[in-house]
Amino acid sequence: MTALAEKANIITSSLDFIVNWGRKNSLWPFPYGTACCAIEFMSTETARYDLSRIGSEYVRFTPRQSDVLLVAGTITYKQAPILKRIYEQMAEPRWVIAMGACASSGGFYDAYCTVPGIDHIIPVDVYIGGCPPRPESFFDAMFQLQEKIQDESYMKARAERVKEQLEMIKAKTAECKENAEKAVKNAVSCGVQTIKEGRDNLMKKVAFWKE
Amino acid sequence: MADCEKLLAILEEKFGAKRDLADKWGFTVLVERENLHALMLFLRDDQSAKFDVLLDIVGVDYLGFKDYEGPRFAVEYVLKTMKAPVRRMRVKVLVSETDCKVPSIADLYAIANWQEREVFDQYGVVFEGHPDLRRLLNHAEFEGHPLRKDYPAHKRQWLSTNDYLLPELEARLESKGYKIVARSKEVMPNDDEYLEGSRKV
Repeated sequence: MTALAEKANIITSSLDFIVNWGRKNSLWPFPYGTACCAIEFMSTETARYDLSRIGSEYVRFTPRQSDVLLVAGTITYKQAPILKRIYEQMAEPRWVIAMGACASSGGFYDAYCTVPGIDHIIPVDVYIGGCPPRPESFFDAMFQLQEKIQDESYMKARAERVKEQLEMIKAKTAECKENAEKAVKNAVSCGVQTIKEGRDNLMKKVAFWKE
Repeated sequence: MADCEKLLAILEEKFGAKRDLADKWGFTVLVERENLHALMLFLRDDQSAKFDVLLDIVGVDYLGFKDYEGPRFAVEYVLKTMKAPVRRMRVKVLVSETDCKVPSIADLYAIANWQEREVFDQYGVVFEGHPDLRRLLNHAEFEGHPLRKDYPAHKRQWLSTNDYLLPELEARLESKGYKIVARSKEVMPNDDEYLEGSRKV
């Protein structure tokens, strides 16, 4: 152990820290752009602002490969089921950013057709104000999201996830034990019976030969 | 304008149209709906008119309009020509609430198909003889017509599932000469995907 440590190729850390470090520095956004906010997101991606500085340069156009659902623009009632479906298709862990006034609250579209904030449909992690917000605001939101991810615990989530599984395993084990005990009891009683029968037979034979 | 005013005499004589005096800066004629189709055909094809562009079809709801008496709804057709730079006119049909029907002109102008669908969607005016009168902007489960003045401004209606557009798509492909051989299982409507309270179309 000392020999290995002297070579300085081992670091000790908590698993939470290393997992969160990996997650927060490669957030791949899924752009759900429906209005002018999407244009601001495009300029955030370009070289002038350069979202790749925090590892988010890969804009994935499939929910199965992305971590952050970026809702940029007005969501109408006709679109709401589509947005929900896309959120459900994303693999966990997943986060949602509501970009701009429309996605956060419906904005000035206080009418029959517009959803008053996407938090009626899906949970939201970070809201960005503005109509549309500047790229700097978007960066701010990403930093806030990174801070949030920093505080998350992979192990805790995992413990919760496996809790159910553990309980199931425990229940199954108890059932198996019971079954095994029953089987043993059955076998023992069977054995006792056969021994008894054998003894009875012997007794009968002895009685016969005596006669 | 001067061009159009020459037309007025012919329109009055042939189709019983009247000039709408409420329109002070433009040229609008009022026409009965029985004569609408013939009038639009005349305006499209006659040498003196040649209105070859239908810019828009507009619905109007006069409920609660100041100093207005008459039928509740109106449908306006905005016309333009490519043959002369300033020749523009509008044709207006008044429609009562109890008999909310207008003949369709989708056979004269191809764009009228969707424009009429929009007016039907937002105002509930029925266009008789329209090939495919469905909602255009609002979703399939929407009830009522949102641009009517008596529609509550803040009444919101949730959609529970995506519109199922496959039959429409297939019909279009078949009209283009393709043949639908088989449908894959994934695209068939799944009962589990409908949320509670949705209507299956």
